[in-house]
Amino acid sequence: MNDYNYIGKEIPRVDGPAKATGQAVYTVDVKLPEMLYGKILRSPHPHARLLKVDTSAAEQLPGVEAVITGEDLQEVRYAFVDTPRYPADEQPLATEKVRYIGDEVAAVAAESEAIAEKALSLIKVEYEILPAVFDPEKAMQEGAPVIHGEQSASTSFWEDWGVAQQKKTVQEDPSINNLSGHTFVSFGDVEQAFQEADYSREDRFELKPTAHCQMEPHAAVASYNPLEDKLHVWLSTQGIFLKRLFLSKTLGLPASKIRVHHSFVGGAFGGKIDLFPYEFCAAYLSIKTRRPVKIELDREEVFMTTRQRHPIIVKIKTGVKKDGTILAQDIRVIADNGGYRGSGPVVIFLCHGFSFPVYNVPNYRYEGFSIYTNNGIRGPQRGHGAPQIRFAIDSHLDLIARDLDLDLLTIMHKNVRQEGDVLPNGDRLDSCGLTECLMGAAGAIDWQKKREQSHLQANGNRYRRGVGISLCSMFSGAMYYPFASAAVVKMHDDGSATLFTGAQDIGQGSYTTMSQVLAEELGIGIEDICVVAGDTELCPIDLGSFLSCTALVTGNAVKKAAADAKRQMLESAADLLGLADPAGLKTQNKMIYLEDDPQKSVSFAQAIQASVLKRDGNPIIGRGSFKGYPRTERYPSLAKAKGLFTGAYGFAAQAAEVEVDTLTGLVRLVKAVTFHDCGFPLNKTVVEGQIHGCVSMGAGQALSEEVHLEKGQLFNPSFLHYQLPIALDTPESAEGLVATIEPSGPFGAKEVGEGCVAGILGAIANAVHDAIGVRIYSLPITPEKVLRALKKI
Amino acid sequence: MRLLEFDYFEPRNLEDAVTKVREFDGNYQIIAGGTDLLTALKQRLSAPAGLVSLDHISSLKDIWEEDDVITIGAMCTLEDVLSSSLIAEKLPALNQAAWDVGSPLLRPLATIGGNICLNTRCRFYNQSSFWRSSRDTCYKAGGNICHVTNKRDSCVATFSADIPPVLIAHGARVRLAGPKGVRTLPLEQFYTADGRFPHVIMAGSGEILQEIEVPLPAPQVSCVYHKFRMRESIDFPVLGVAVMLKLGEKKSGKYCEDACLVITGAEPAPVEAVQAREELLHRRLEPGLLARVAEIAASEIHPIKTSLISPRYKREIAKIIVTDALKKAGGIEE
Amino acid sequence: MEKTIRLTVNGEEKTLKIGVQQTLLEVLREDLGLTGTKKGCNQGECGACTVLLDGKPVSSCLLLAVKADGKTVLTIEGLAQAGELHPMQQAFNEKGAIQCGFCSPGMILVAKSLLERNPNPSTQEIKEAIAGNICRCTGYLQIIEAIRSFVS
Repeated sequence: MNDYNYIGKEIPRVDGPAKATGQAVYTVDVKLPEMLYGKILRSPHPHARLLKVDTSAAEQLPGVEAVITGEDLQEVRYAFVDTPRYPADEQPLATEKVRYIGDEVAAVAAESEAIAEKALSLIKVEYEILPAVFDPEKAMQEGAPVIHGEQSASTSFWEDWGVAQQKKTVQEDPSINNLSGHTFVSFGDVEQAFQEADYSREDRFELKPTAHCQMEPHAAVASYNPLEDKLHVWLSTQGIFLKRLFLSKTLGLPASKIRVHHSFVGGAFGGKIDLFPYEFCAAYLSIKTRRPVKIELDREEVFMTTRQRHPIIVKIKTGVKKDGTILAQDIRVIADNGGYRGSGPVVIFLCHGFSFPVYNVPNYRYEGFSIYTNNGIRGPQRGHGAPQIRFAIDSHLDLIARDLDLDLLTIMHKNVRQEGDVLPNGDRLDSCGLTECLMGAAGAIDWQKKREQSHLQANGNRYRRGVGISLCSMFSGAMYYPFASAAVVKMHDDGSATLFTGAQDIGQGSYTTMSQVLAEELGIGIEDICVVAGDTELCPIDLGSFLSCTALVTGNAVKKAAADAKRQMLESAADLLGLADPAGLKTQNKMIYLEDDPQKSVSFAQAIQASVLKRDGNPIIGRGSFKGYPRTERYPSLAKAKGLFTGAYGFAAQAAEVEVDTLTGLVRLVKAVTFHDCGFPLNKTVVEGQIHGCVSMGAGQALSEEVHLEKGQLFNPSFLHYQLPIALDTPESAEGLVATIEPSGPFGAKEVGEGCVAGILGAIANAVHDAIGVRIYSLPITPEKVLRALKKI
Repeated sequence: MRLLEFDYFEPRNLEDAVTKVREFDGNYQIIAGGTDLLTALKQRLSAPAGLVSLDHISSLKDIWEEDDVITIGAMCTLEDVLSSSLIAEKLPALNQAAWDVGSPLLRPLATIGGNICLNTRCRFYNQSSFWRSSRDTCYKAGGNICHVTNKRDSCVATFSADIPPVLIAHGARVRLAGPKGVRTLPLEQFYTADGRFPHVIMAGSGEILQEIEVPLPAPQVSCVYHKFRMRESIDFPVLGVAVMLKLGEKKSGKYCEDACLVITGAEPAPVEAVQAREELLHRRLEPGLLARVAEIAASEIHPIKTSLISPRYKREIAKIIVTDALKKAGGIEE
Repeated sequence: MEKTIRLTVNGEEKTLKIGVQQTLLEVLREDLGLTGTKKGCNQGECGACTVLLDGKPVSSCLLLAVKADGKTVLTIEGLAQAGELHPMQQAFNEKGAIQCGFCSPGMILVAKSLLERNPNPSTQEIKEAIAGNICRCTGYLQIIEAIRSFVS
């Protein structure tokens, strides 16, 4: 096994030199001749009726080329979720109401940023302030201000392909106000099981909103060419085909009339999937002015008006046997999705999706609510629900372990799922290394010894240490537009290859790992490969760099495309070598040889040239495709969580050692351990980089990161006040890669870039409890919360 | 966010600078390193017609010792302060405080004068113009309401520079050049305790900070600066304290001959904990005393919620960092 | 108000007419087309806009270009010579220190200047040197590793 030349090797990034030298062009770097600069006027009020927008003074300002308002775009609706049940509720510019601070009201395009800014100040808006609500539990109550209530007549993008689950009329509970989404799942007999349990316990956990903090701010450049009636766009995005669909539907242009061009993406983390008003407005303004338009958001706008991670309240009750076997679990989740639905119905579905693959819970009930409030919009962020639900479940299990005087490891080992398990929805765990991950992580953190030490440390010590552990799981792709990834491998007559893939390298290293897949399958060197990516015109469809699908879904497409090219070359080589058929031919280093008689060989170049001359002019183009989830043609139902979710789950166990300063309350992450079952690591350096990034983001969200909101106003829209980790916060780190070989993955690979953001939260929370003997139920665990828990303030 | 247009002047000597400032009749800002000012200008916290740069006044960039006084030109960058062997040797707490300011990318630009003249900060004030438009203009920004206290015509924005506490603890004086000539005053008198106009220059004296004069500390003096923050770079202090101790030696052990404790990050001006000093004077440094002094010091600050940190937490932190700083200055092992 | 300044950028002397309200970052990116210097926050809090000013790393978004008159600026574009990556660029690429790449120009310049000042930094000194440069992708580990690879 693993006798590979390229797979699993620590190949340096193929886009590294461009990025290290400053040559890599990001969307913020794109500058076109005659380009205008756009800016957006936003609502300073969290909830208000829009009475009048007067743009006349702005229009007369010299240098202003266009001003648009909601009146120009009455009918345009779009949303991350757009189904008959959950119709699109966002508009590029508000018409009737504004629903959060930052909601878009008007946009201008001008000769310079300074003129555009001046123009915004000349737009007069009259608002009628409406009562607002910021707490989801209050928003749910009767009598709370109603944030949406409008009827939407829009048709659903999601319906076009006929992949939705069978429609069933679902009566929502009318007593819940501001409901934007609802998920209910149940299996087994929960009531009965609680009665049979030896012990049960109920807890409530809470997580604050967090921010992605991609280093590249959101930006868009749009250039409409009237001669070809075509819109060219550069977007800082993780899914070019999804963006093209959104733009096509909202602008009323055929997809063929929109080209998303490649640009490098300075970080995404889930925050660059949705269509944003600035993108639509750049496109619309370019069409209107017939000139290129660039809109680049300020860092403050990125914090306030793009997306945040959902703040979530989790109530969880678990019944266990004396030995720690889980009998029943009842989970209730409330997610605050802000002024628009965002990914609310998805996150409450995913909290279930990342809850049930980890432990075998025979009797289970899950109910999730996503709720409108007048806060900023929430969308996917790395893990999308996994951090929230995994933190809650494993904090809760740690409490149960402490109540029963059991080791948490014992409970985890007793209940974790195993390879071969079939999940209640029908997903199969063809690979599952949870047990090995758990053993590895416990060993690397020195679990037994550290636990004993933390019990023995003197109460009077200022600095106290503790260890904790938690588990997590993540999808490897799913059914979402465009439902599949495809790849094309074009062979050149010198034997080198160009790979065409729609996948976008957002920093996760996909150009490199996909090159490795191609190199391995085809038998050429990395240096013989050119990657053409991220361009809707040049590249075949791709699911996009989210849903953790690139390694498995795009990887399979690339592998199949390479195999297709190889097959054609071998056929040509067999002709040249006078063989009846290509069986027995192998490739390596751009050479094709007979395995039994390596002297019999031809070069790739010879085979390709012969193919052109003798096989109907075929220059050899390989193609491959792979569906988001081969076993289904349908979306899973968000509301009932029915249907298949993902073809393969990635798993990890994460452990943390912390040191708590009991005087100041500061928690230092001393050591972070991750044992990850990513199937098979295509590139160890890349996989470790993903884990480090996840751990850092997770540690930030466990200890310091919080979007501070008061009455819908965001108090820390900056890296100075939004406390994400800096280099000095870097812990000692240990990683283990548990190779389980996912049968459906290319060379056994599956998800790596998301799940590990989730387990570290519970690991840290449990470690803090271990250190100071007190539980903190809400994240982040700030020094103030620690001192309050210790009753020092 | 781009800067709005302004006029820019680079006088070659202090007299010209003072004249330029007078010509602008209040509608100007002095720019030293600019690291704090540019952020504020981008947020449209002010829109001066002109900036008067001190870059080309070479006399403001020296550090020297003469007649038992160390003089530091206001335009010395924090990097200059850090690389001065004179300061490293004779004023190590100043070296520490300079190291603690901002991030490594700001210290080659930011100046000691700029840190002394740092504007006060508030979570309602240090925001963009769009952000602030959600509420009535606050008093510090030119309106008449304080969103922290809900009182009219008052401002409680917090002073959070790292360098001044150390200088005050050392008894430093500042030399100011103004229309009426040059004067020196003790640094603590430079501050007004008014959140809106925290020092005499912002209050409209038309002066320019020229130099800081620090008396050479006596050999028995030990001074430390202790900054507490969540991240060990970039962040302003949650709270910082400079502790100066002049130690005597008696048979019974070390005792305090003189002391000065100055806290930053708590109020609109650096706070001298005078009662804590009283408690220390002439006493032997023993753990009980330090705890008592820390309690007293914590009771001498009156933090208000001008940042995302609660006042309660700040008081608790005051006790911890004062104790830690006293131990370090007094050479007391844990 | 406009002003003419002289800057030595990546070894080349330039005379530039600029608006006094322009930051060095804007002049580099917009007037000189040197977009390798990135704008991450424009508030001096992220380090993406780091350039070496007379050899010292500074946030170019907080520096008025007029204040750089007469000084020497090195941007990321000036580091690789004759088509060869600078050893620090090479190390960043080999150690996995680059992911999305947006912080990389600033990080690499800070790392280079650190080693010029202190050829043998401890891990703590490395962390202190890059403490003003935020990276959201790598958790800093592989960046620290890349810089450490120069330490004997």
